[in-house]
Amino acid sequence: MTRRYEILPVVFLLVALGGCERRKLCNAPDCGTLVDAAIGEPGTLLPASTEEITARDVDEQLFLKLADVGMSINTIGDEDFQPLLAKQWEWDGPLTLVFHIDPRARWHDGQPVTAVDVAFTYDAYNDSAVASPYRAQLKRIASVTARDSLTAVFRFRERYPEMFYDAVYHMRILPAHLLRSVPRDQWKTAEFGRKPIGDGPYRFVSWQAGQAIELRSDTTFFLGRPGIRRLIWRFTPDLGVAVTQLVADQVDVREQLVTPEMIDRARTAKQLKLYPYSGNVYTYLAFNLRANGDTTKPHPIFGDREVRRALTMAVDRASLVKSTLGDIGKVPPGPTSSLLWIWDPEIRQLPYDTAQAGRTLNARGWRDHDGDGVRDRDNQPLAFRIVVPSTSVLRRQYARLLQEQFRLLGIHVDIDEVDPSVLQQRLTSGKYDAAILSRSNDPSPSSGITQTWTRAGIGGSNYARYSSPEFDRLVDGAIAATSRDQSKRLWRAAMETINADAPAIFLYALGNMAGIHRRVDNVQIRPDSWAALLRTWRIPSDRQIDRDRVER
Amino acid sequence: MTAWLLRRLAASVAIVFAVVSFVFILIHLAPGDPCVVGTGERITDPDVCRQLIRQFGLDRPVLVQYWRYLGEVARGNFGYSFALHRPVRDALADTMPFTLQLAGAALLVDFGLGLALGVYQALRLNRLPDVVLGNVTLFVYSLPTFWLGLLLLLVFGEKLPLFPVGGASDPVLCPLVDSLYCLADRFWHLILPAATLGLVGAAGTARFQRAAMLEVANQEFVRTARAKGLPERRVVLHHQLRNALLSFITRFGLTFPFLLTGAVLIETIFAWPGMGRLTVDAILHRDYAVVTATALIASSLVVAGNLLADVLVGFADPRIRVHEDALVDIATA
Repeated sequence: MTRRYEILPVVFLLVALGGCERRKLCNAPDCGTLVDAAIGEPGTLLPASTEEITARDVDEQLFLKLADVGMSINTIGDEDFQPLLAKQWEWDGPLTLVFHIDPRARWHDGQPVTAVDVAFTYDAYNDSAVASPYRAQLKRIASVTARDSLTAVFRFRERYPEMFYDAVYHMRILPAHLLRSVPRDQWKTAEFGRKPIGDGPYRFVSWQAGQAIELRSDTTFFLGRPGIRRLIWRFTPDLGVAVTQLVADQVDVREQLVTPEMIDRARTAKQLKLYPYSGNVYTYLAFNLRANGDTTKPHPIFGDREVRRALTMAVDRASLVKSTLGDIGKVPPGPTSSLLWIWDPEIRQLPYDTAQAGRTLNARGWRDHDGDGVRDRDNQPLAFRIVVPSTSVLRRQYARLLQEQFRLLGIHVDIDEVDPSVLQQRLTSGKYDAAILSRSNDPSPSSGITQTWTRAGIGGSNYARYSSPEFDRLVDGAIAATSRDQSKRLWRAAMETINADAPAIFLYALGNMAGIHRRVDNVQIRPDSWAALLRTWRIPSDRQIDRDRVER
Repeated sequence: MTAWLLRRLAASVAIVFAVVSFVFILIHLAPGDPCVVGTGERITDPDVCRQLIRQFGLDRPVLVQYWRYLGEVARGNFGYSFALHRPVRDALADTMPFTLQLAGAALLVDFGLGLALGVYQALRLNRLPDVVLGNVTLFVYSLPTFWLGLLLLLVFGEKLPLFPVGGASDPVLCPLVDSLYCLADRFWHLILPAATLGLVGAAGTARFQRAAMLEVANQEFVRTARAKGLPERRVVLHHQLRNALLSFITRFGLTFPFLLTGAVLIETIFAWPGMGRLTVDAILHRDYAVVTATALIASSLVVAGNLLADVLVGFADPRIRVHEDALVDIATA
């Protein structure tokens, strides 16, 4: 199934040069090349120094964690975790976790992976000179030491349900023998980040700047030979180009098709199969609860809880999601993405009820006294501005739809479309009325919700400056709960509290849809990281095409 | 001539310096810092964010940073990119050859095709080919390059898969097969972006060249050449075209900025790994060092293009070459 464009250069060569070297063809059981259309190029592949999406996907293949979450994405306890670098583990008292490294594990330069690497990795992630984005997630780990060459000991500062998750999820183990000599403040620019040596199922082959990263399977990988021999991440500047390459059969995978339009384009390509999976992003209209530009005073509109509730009831979120996102979007039951295990459609939310919203606004004195179509109080119109990033088509579209829904209730809304950096500056300084924002979650609700909605996050990511002692108490309880059921109950109560206070309108949670070539078999996608199980994918020999068989 | 050239060189350096200073100050005054990661989200740990800002020296006053930057540039060092995690010099070394390839190929399309069409139209004045080509070139000249690029991509990349959809080479085959295949493959990848960037320019060049040919067609030296009984081919090629090339050279200098600014869009549409795409990404990430360095390179190329055009016109036009004192900045006038 060679594409015409692949033939043409060969024809050109035959004509121009009078011949072309015959290519060797692969006939091993793991023949196969998988090309992913990646949006953007990572800066480094050194896991401690980056949280870029493409770098994370590539690092999944290069560097192992001690263990990883299972398909259930349960982050509480350790029963649902899958062993990787650690063949087993045990608790040595309430605050001590002992990992036993699999003695078969080897770095790609042949050196064994040891507990010293684990201790070194923790030290590096925790070093402010490395400036690792994961450092904050490790703050409850007191120390990591090597008891012997294959035993790593984690000691925690306190006991909590996600101890195991914190120990294994954020850190990919690094080779101490290769990185010890690199000054920590130079890790971001270290050569190792562009030519990494890992211990995962794939070895690094090449990085062509601006074009592609190539990996090749490690046939001696101790957990089993990967099913596909070559993996290539081909860099594209935007989603449109990526999907065009996918539809034109020039790449095999686009893991997030994002919009209904792109999904429809992918559906038209016969060689593709679509795989839905949970998304890790939710989007909301944040109300600034403090006055625009003066965080010492309440906002004249959004400082009033009843008005916020009325505004929330004025928006038909279900219709908006259906009309803009179709099947890939859902109305979130609170500040959560569909990835999190706390997602529960039964969580109590404010209903869509424009009549009640109108009555509430009337009761709070917001009436159209002058008959101009806009409610007012004390000669002040009920008007505010929504700020959106100019780079997000979806959020700009939503701003217009919200503007119209609010207009029907006599509320005037202007829209400011600004550069993301300007948006960031206005959020941080509090110089805005309302903003459409998106948050992505890792599999644990503990970190994201705490940062964005509790008082601890004010001055950080809590841009709404929402402050509720009751909500904070429930979140703290949910994080400290000893069982998943108890935790889920407390999270539900926390969600219902924030929904009732309405510091934001939770607009949509995006599901993911991956477009993958039909010839790829045994496709398993773990919702938090589509590439986590790539080593299990296969391309059966009867479905292989030219690019699977080409050999060096 | 030497004194004029030195004056022009000094002015060129001053222009580049002014552009770089302006861009440096402006980008540093705009909101943004290295704490925004690739996903567009901000690093939540304030300690990590402070550390990054300190590492890149962004905690110092803008003027101090500016002074340090000038010192570094004088030593040939453009600093570190905090989005790419590498020296800017390396990033430029990787991307510039691609932009030069694209611009060079586009120049060929622009001037090769434009010149041929303009001359052909002038020779078929007011006949059907002239009328048809006149309308076609006007139509193409009116097209925004990004729209034409998207159209070509959709038609020749997706609907009729004759050409690759983006990139500069085939990442699957190229690393495994001989370099001759890759050379042909690179050429194949270059066609759509170069055609997009060059076609609109070619349409403009054709119209300019047609007008220039007609302008000299009625001049005395052309009539004299015909009166002497020279063959029409010699009259056209040696007398008419040669004199009409002056505007061509001037346009050549002016095309440089167009190609560089056009490359920003075209490289993004066609995923071409050149300096234009690098610049767009750097602006989005507020990657100060890269933005300033690309501004430096781009302004240098623009100034060099104009200077080259002035010098070439000086050499090509005896009227200017003889009266050295009267040399004017033709390309930029």
